[in-house]
Amino acid sequence: MAKVSLKRLQKGKTGEKGSRDKFITLLLVVAVYGIVQLLVKTGHVSSLIQGLLVPMCVYSLVAIGLNLCVGFLGELSLGHAGFMCVGAFTGAFVSKVLRDSIGNDLVLFLVALLAGVAMAALFGFLIAIPVLRLKGDYLAIVTLAFGEIIKNIINVLYIAKDSNGYHAAFSDAKSMQLDEESTVWLINGAKGINRIANLSNFTIGIVLILLALIIVYNLVDSRSGRAIMAIRDNRIAAESVGLPITQYKLMTFTLSAAIAGAGGVLYAHNLSTVTATPTNFGYNMSILILVFVVLGGIGSLRGSMIAAVLLTLLPEVLRGMKDYRMLIYSIVLIAMMLFNWAPKSIAFRKQLAAKWKKQKTQEEA
Amino acid sequence: MNFWVYLINGISLGSVYAIIALGYTMVYGIAKMLNFAHGDVIMIGCYIVFLTMTRYGLHPVLSVLLSILFCTLLGITIEKIAYKPLRRALPLAVLITAIGVSYFLQNMALLVFGADTKSFSNVITVPGITLADGALKISGTTIVTVVACIIIMALLLLFINKTKAGQAMLAVSEDKDAAQLMGVNVNATISLTFAIGSGLAAIAGVLFCSAYPTLTPYTGSMPGIKAFTAAVFGGIGSIPGAFIGGILLGIIEILGRAYISSQLSDAIVFAVLIVVLLVKPTGILGKKMHEKV
Amino acid sequence: MALLEVHDIGISFGGLRAVDDFQISIEKGQLYGLIGPNGAGKTTVFNILTGVYTPDKGTILLDGQNITGKNTMEINRAGIARTFQNIRLFHLLSVLDNVKIGLHNQMQYSTLTGVLRLPRYYQVEKEMNERAMELLHVFELDDVADYQATNLPYGKQRKLEIARAMATNPKLLLLDEPAAGMNPNETKELMETIHFVREKFDMTILLIEHDMKLVSGICEQLTVLNFGQILCQGKTADVLHDPEVIKAYLGE
Repeated sequence: MAKVSLKRLQKGKTGEKGSRDKFITLLLVVAVYGIVQLLVKTGHVSSLIQGLLVPMCVYSLVAIGLNLCVGFLGELSLGHAGFMCVGAFTGAFVSKVLRDSIGNDLVLFLVALLAGVAMAALFGFLIAIPVLRLKGDYLAIVTLAFGEIIKNIINVLYIAKDSNGYHAAFSDAKSMQLDEESTVWLINGAKGINRIANLSNFTIGIVLILLALIIVYNLVDSRSGRAIMAIRDNRIAAESVGLPITQYKLMTFTLSAAIAGAGGVLYAHNLSTVTATPTNFGYNMSILILVFVVLGGIGSLRGSMIAAVLLTLLPEVLRGMKDYRMLIYSIVLIAMMLFNWAPKSIAFRKQLAAKWKKQKTQEEA
Repeated sequence: MNFWVYLINGISLGSVYAIIALGYTMVYGIAKMLNFAHGDVIMIGCYIVFLTMTRYGLHPVLSVLLSILFCTLLGITIEKIAYKPLRRALPLAVLITAIGVSYFLQNMALLVFGADTKSFSNVITVPGITLADGALKISGTTIVTVVACIIIMALLLLFINKTKAGQAMLAVSEDKDAAQLMGVNVNATISLTFAIGSGLAAIAGVLFCSAYPTLTPYTGSMPGIKAFTAAVFGGIGSIPGAFIGGILLGIIEILGRAYISSQLSDAIVFAVLIVVLLVKPTGILGKKMHEKV
Repeated sequence: MALLEVHDIGISFGGLRAVDDFQISIEKGQLYGLIGPNGAGKTTVFNILTGVYTPDKGTILLDGQNITGKNTMEINRAGIARTFQNIRLFHLLSVLDNVKIGLHNQMQYSTLTGVLRLPRYYQVEKEMNERAMELLHVFELDDVADYQATNLPYGKQRKLEIARAMATNPKLLLLDEPAAGMNPNETKELMETIHFVREKFDMTILLIEHDMKLVSGICEQLTVLNFGQILCQGKTADVLHDPEVIKAYLGE
C-alpha cells in the first residue's frame, strides 16, 4: 500500500494528461454554461456581466489557442491578437457581404466562422514559415512585429461596393473613385467594418470552446501531440528519433492561429463595429492573452480559461473602486506571479503542504 | 533638400531610440529578460520633469537631474521587489511580471497625474543652426539629442571596458554563477545595471518629449517597444548594436512616414526588423550561438 | 560489405581541425568502441554520423547507402539511432510516451485520425502501447512506465534513452558515454544491458567511452582518437598494448 502511494507521489503531474482530468474540464465548461443560463433566466446576472459573457468566451478561446503554442509547442508568441484580428475582419466581412444571400443567422455565422478560421490559419502558416526558425525572445519580438503589421495594414485597407460593383484600395481611399450616392462600405480603413450582424451569443461561444478543447485534447493525446511535446522538451533528441520538426511546428502554430481566429470571429459578431485599434488587436491584447495562459498554468487549458474568466471579471468587480481598479489589477497580477513562480515561494508552499499533511496523518492516527 | 530634413529628423528620433535601447540591451544582457516596464519608466521620468518645472518652477537642468535620480531609484526598486525573487524562475514568468509592472506604472501615473494629455514644454534652450542658405534647419533639440546619444554610448563603452564594475557586468551577463564564485557581487551588479538603464530611460524620456511634446500615461509604451526592436535589430546585448539599431530604426521610421505612408510607418519598421532577423537571426552585431550537443 | 563505412571525414570549427581523416568500418553485429581522452573529438564523430554537423569532406555509407550530408531526421530514418552524453529525454513526458515517440515512424496514423479519434487511432495506439511495454520490459523499466521521465533515477534515465533509440528500429546504435556519471554497480548493470541488447536484437553498436577498462571488457574492435586524428585501430587486445595508445592515455 505504501509503495503505491510513493509511486503516485513520484509520478508528478504532466499537465492534464489523464483522460479523467480532461473530462472534468469539459464537464466544468458545460456546468458553468448551465449555471450561468439559469442565473440569467432568473434575473441574477447584471446586464454588465451579461455583456461580458461573450468576451469571456472569446478570451478563453484565444487563450486555448495560445496555450497550444506556448504550453505544448513551447514557442512564445506575442502576435496572437493579429490572428484574432484577421479572423474578426474576415468573418465580419464575409457575413456582411453574404447577409442578403444567406437568410439563416446560424448558417451565416458558420460560413463567416469558416472563412475567418481559414484566413487566420493561412496567416498563421505563412508567418510560421519564416518565424519558427527563430528562438526565444527573438521569436517573441518577431511575432509581436507581425501582429502590429497586420493591425497596421487592416487600418489602411478599404473595400467598398457602389453601383459600379466592388472596389478595393490600399492606403488611398480616394483612388477608388466611388460613386458616393450608392457607396456601401465593407471595410473603411481605420473606421473598420460597421453594422455587423449580431450573430454571436454565449451558447455559440461555449460550443466553440468545447470544440477547441476537444480538438486540442485529442491532438495532444495522439501520435502528433506526443511529437509536438517531444520537440518542446528536447528538439535535438526529437530530431535524433526521426521526428519532422518543421512540419509539426508549422502545423501546431497554424492550428493555434486558427483557434485565435475563431475567437476573432466570435468577437466581431458581438459588436456592431469592429476596428483594429491598439487596445483590441495590438500587442497589448496579445500580452493580455499571454497573461491568461501563464497565470492559468502553462500547458493547462482549464487554468487558461479560469484565468481568462477571473481576470475579465476582476476589473468589473472592482468597478466600485473606480480609479483604483486597474492599479489593483496590476498589483494582483504581480503578486500572483511572485506567489506562483518565485523559487522561495514555491519552497515555502511545499513546506507548508508537508506540514499540513503531517498534521493530518497525526490526527488520523 | 527634403530628404536631408527627413534624414536629420530620423537620426534625431533614432538617437532617442538608441538611448532607450542602450538601457534595454544592458538590462537584457544581465537579467536575460524583456523588461516591458522599461518604456513606462521613460514616461514617469517625463512626468517628473513636467511637474517639477511647471508646478514648482525648477530650473530645467535641475529638474532633469531630479528626474534621472528618481528613475534610477525607481529602476532599482522595481528590480528588488518584482524581478529579484524570480531570478531563477521560468523566463516567461518574469516576462509576465514585467508586464504587470508596466500596467502598475501606467495606472499609477493615471492616478497621480491624471488621464489628460499634458503638453510638454521643451527643456532644451540650445539654439539651432541653419545650413545651405537657410534651406536646412537643424533644431537645438536635434543637436542636443544626437550629441547626448553619442556621449552616452561612449561613456557606457568606457565604463564597461575600463572599470571594475563594468567588467563585473560583463562577467554576470556571461555566467551568473561563475561570476559569483569569482567574488563578483551579483546582486549589486544587477542593481547597478537597472539603475543605469533606468537613468538612461529618464534622459531619453526628456529628449523624446522635447521632440514630441504630448505626455500621457501611455506615452512610454510605444517608444519602449520600438527601442526593444532596435536593440534586437542591432543584436541584443551589444552596446554598439543598440546604437546602430536605434539610429537605423529612427531613420527608417521617418523616411517610411515621409515617402511611403504615415499610417504604415510602424509596419515598415517592423517589416524591416523581420527581414533583418531572418537574414541574420541574432541581429546586426549579435553573436552567433551554438547549442552544444 | 560492412554495415557502416566511413571514409576520410573531417570537420573544422573556427580554424581548429576538430576531426580529420577519420575512417571506420563496422561489420554487422559488431560491438565497436570509440575511445580517446577528453576533447579528442569522439562526440564530434557521433555528431557527424548523425547529421548534427555536416562534414567538409569524406563519405558515410550505411548499409551501402550514402548518407553523407543528410539531416538528423533522415539519418535516423535511414537506420542510425543514438543516445547523448548529457542525457536528452523528453523530460516532462512519461517513460512510456518517451518510447512511443521513438516508435513514431514505425507505427503511423494521421493527425486527423488522432483528432477525430477514428478506429485506426485506437488500434494503432494499442499496438504502440504493447510494443513500447515490450521494450520497457527488456530494459526493466515496465514498472515505472507512467513516471515522468525527469523523476527517474540516473541509471534508469540512461536505460530509457537506449530504449527510446531502440524503438526507432535502427540498424546501428550509437551510445555516447553510456556509463558517464554512474556508480560501479550501475555501470556493471548497464554493460550487461548493452550485451543483452546486442544478443536479443542482433544489434550493431558503436560505443564511446573514455574508461579503457570498461571498454576492453565488451568491445571486439577499437578505434582510438587523439586530437581529432586516429591514433590506432584494430582488435581490442592489440590496441590496448599499442605504445602510442598507452602514451596518449598515461602521458610521457
